[in-house]
Amino acid sequence: MDIIGSILGLLNSGLGNLAAYLAAHVLLCLLPAFYIAGAMTATIPKETVTRFLGRKTPKFISYPAAAAAGFLLAVCSCTVIPLFAGIYKKGAGIGPAITFLFVAPAINILALVYTGGVIGMDLAVARLLLSLAFGIGVGIIMALIFRKEDAAHDKDTDALFAGQAVMRPTAVIFMLLLVVLLVVGTFQIDALKQSYIQIDLPISGVDTFQSLLGRLVPFDPARGEEGVTAQGAILIGMLILIGVASWKGIENIHDGFNRWTWLSAGLVASTLIVAALGMTPHSGGVTLSLTGKFFGVLVSVIVLGWMLRSQLDEEETRSFLWESWKFVKQIFPLLIVGVFIVGVVRELIQPEWIEFVAGSNTLLGNFVGVVFGVFMYFPTLVEVPIAQMFLNLGMHRGPLLAYLISDPELSLQSILITAAIIGRAKAWTYVGWVALFSTLSGLMYGAWVDGTSTGIVALYLILFLAGLVGLLWQVSRRNAPRLASEHTP
Amino acid sequence: MLTIKILGSGCANCKQVEKIARNVVDEMALEAVVSKVTDYAEITRYDILSTPGLVVNEKVVCSGRIPTKAEVTTWLVDALDTA
Repeated sequence: MDIIGSILGLLNSGLGNLAAYLAAHVLLCLLPAFYIAGAMTATIPKETVTRFLGRKTPKFISYPAAAAAGFLLAVCSCTVIPLFAGIYKKGAGIGPAITFLFVAPAINILALVYTGGVIGMDLAVARLLLSLAFGIGVGIIMALIFRKEDAAHDKDTDALFAGQAVMRPTAVIFMLLLVVLLVVGTFQIDALKQSYIQIDLPISGVDTFQSLLGRLVPFDPARGEEGVTAQGAILIGMLILIGVASWKGIENIHDGFNRWTWLSAGLVASTLIVAALGMTPHSGGVTLSLTGKFFGVLVSVIVLGWMLRSQLDEEETRSFLWESWKFVKQIFPLLIVGVFIVGVVRELIQPEWIEFVAGSNTLLGNFVGVVFGVFMYFPTLVEVPIAQMFLNLGMHRGPLLAYLISDPELSLQSILITAAIIGRAKAWTYVGWVALFSTLSGLMYGAWVDGTSTGIVALYLILFLAGLVGLLWQVSRRNAPRLASEHTP
Repeated sequence: MLTIKILGSGCANCKQVEKIARNVVDEMALEAVVSKVTDYAEITRYDILSTPGLVVNEKVVCSGRIPTKAEVTTWLVDALDTA
C-alpha cells in the first residue's frame, strides 16, 4: 500500500517536472535555438572555417579556428567525428583536433542557450569562456606531449582544407534575425519585460482551469519546482500539433514542400508569439499583457517568415527546415525522457547528501562533480535539467560548472571513438587533462560566485594560459629548424 | 556496373542520402550495388570532413550535405560515361 503510494508520488513528480519544463521559459529559448542550429548547419559552408585548419596554417590561427569550428559547425555528432579525424590525420594535427573535440559538445548553440535559459546566463557565459580557454589549453598540451607522433602522422595533402566558400548575405541576415528572436525572447531586460498594452478578455473559466492544473501538478516553489499555468497547457498542446504537422510536412521534405510543411512553420511562429504573451487569469476572465518581449518576438517572427517564403531559395529553405526538424527529432524525445527521469530521481535524493559533498566550492566538491560527469552518460542537453536538479538540491555553482563541462566532453562512447582514431594512450591522456581542467574551471567559477573579483579570476586564467602559450612557443622554437627542413621538398 | 557507397554512422541525413540514391538507381533502372559504410575507420579512409558522404565508384562526389535527386542523377550518368 505504502509502496504503491510512493511510486505514484514519484511518477507524479516526474510528470510535474516534465510539464513545467515544456511549458515555461523553455519554449522561448529552446525552440528558436533548434532553428538557429538548423540554420547554422544548413547555411554556414564548412569551408569558411575548415580552410584555417589545414596543415600549413600557423598555430595561433588554427587553434582559435578549431574552437570556432566547434562552436559553429558541430551541433551534430555527424560532423564532430569525421571533422576531428580529418583535422588530426590530414590537417592541423592533434592539438587543434583536440581543441575542436573539447569545444564542440560543450558550447554548441543549443547547449549554451539551454544552460542560459534554465540555470542562468552567468553559468552559460562561464561555460562558454572557460570551455574556449581550456579547450585551447588541452589542445596545446596534447600537441606538446605527443609532438613526435604528431610530426610523423601521414603527410597528406592540404587539399581537403583548401576549399573556399562565402555565405550569402541573405543567409547571414536570416541567421542574425534568428539570434535577435532568441535574444528578445529570453533576455530579462526591463524594456522587454515591461507591459505596454493590456487587453482584458472576458473568457471565464481560465482561472478554474489554472487552479485545476495546479492541483493536478502540485509544486513547491521553495524547492525550485515550477507549476503549469493555463498558458503552459496551451503551449504544450501547440507543441504536440507542431510535432504532428512536422511529421507530415518535413519528414518527407526531400520529395517537395506540401501544405503540412507551411502549416508546421506557421504553428512554430504562433507558438512563439503565444509564449511571449503575458497571460494572467482572474475571476472575470483573462488579462493579456503585450510586453516589449511580445512585440520583439512578433516583429522578428514576421520578418523571418517573409524571408523564408520569398528570400531564401528552395534549397536553403528545404535544408533549413530539414536540419532544424532533424535536431528536434533527435534531441527532443531524449530530453523529454531525461526530464521525466530527473523529476523522479529528485524525489529520491536527500539534499543533505549533495550539500555534504558539493555544497561549497571545495577541491573535493569540484572533483566529485567531474567524476560524476565522466562516468555518467546522458544524451545531449539532458545534462542541463540534471544540473538544475543538483542546483535545487543545494549544489554550489562551482562544482555544478565542473560537472557541466566534463559531462558532455567525456562519455564512454566518445572515449572509445576517440581512442579508435588517435589511439588509446592519447585518448586516456586527453581524459585526464579534461578532468583536471574541468575541476579547475569549477574552482575558478566557484571562487567568482563566492565573491572573488572578476579581475583576479581573469588574472589566474590569463597567467595559466600565458604559461601554456609560453611553453608551446619554447618548444616550437626548439623544433622549428627541424620541421622547416622537413617541409622543404 | 556502378558501386555506390553511402558513408555515415546511420544518422538521419545518411538515411536520407541512401533513400535518394536508391530512388535514382531504381528510376534509371541502373545496375548498381548500393551499400552503406558505417565503420568510422572505413569512413575516414575517404577524404571527407563530415558525413553523410556519397561515393560513386570509389570517388567522393558529395559530403556534408544532402544532394538533390537531379545532382545524384548527374553524378551517376557521369560515372557511367567514364566507366
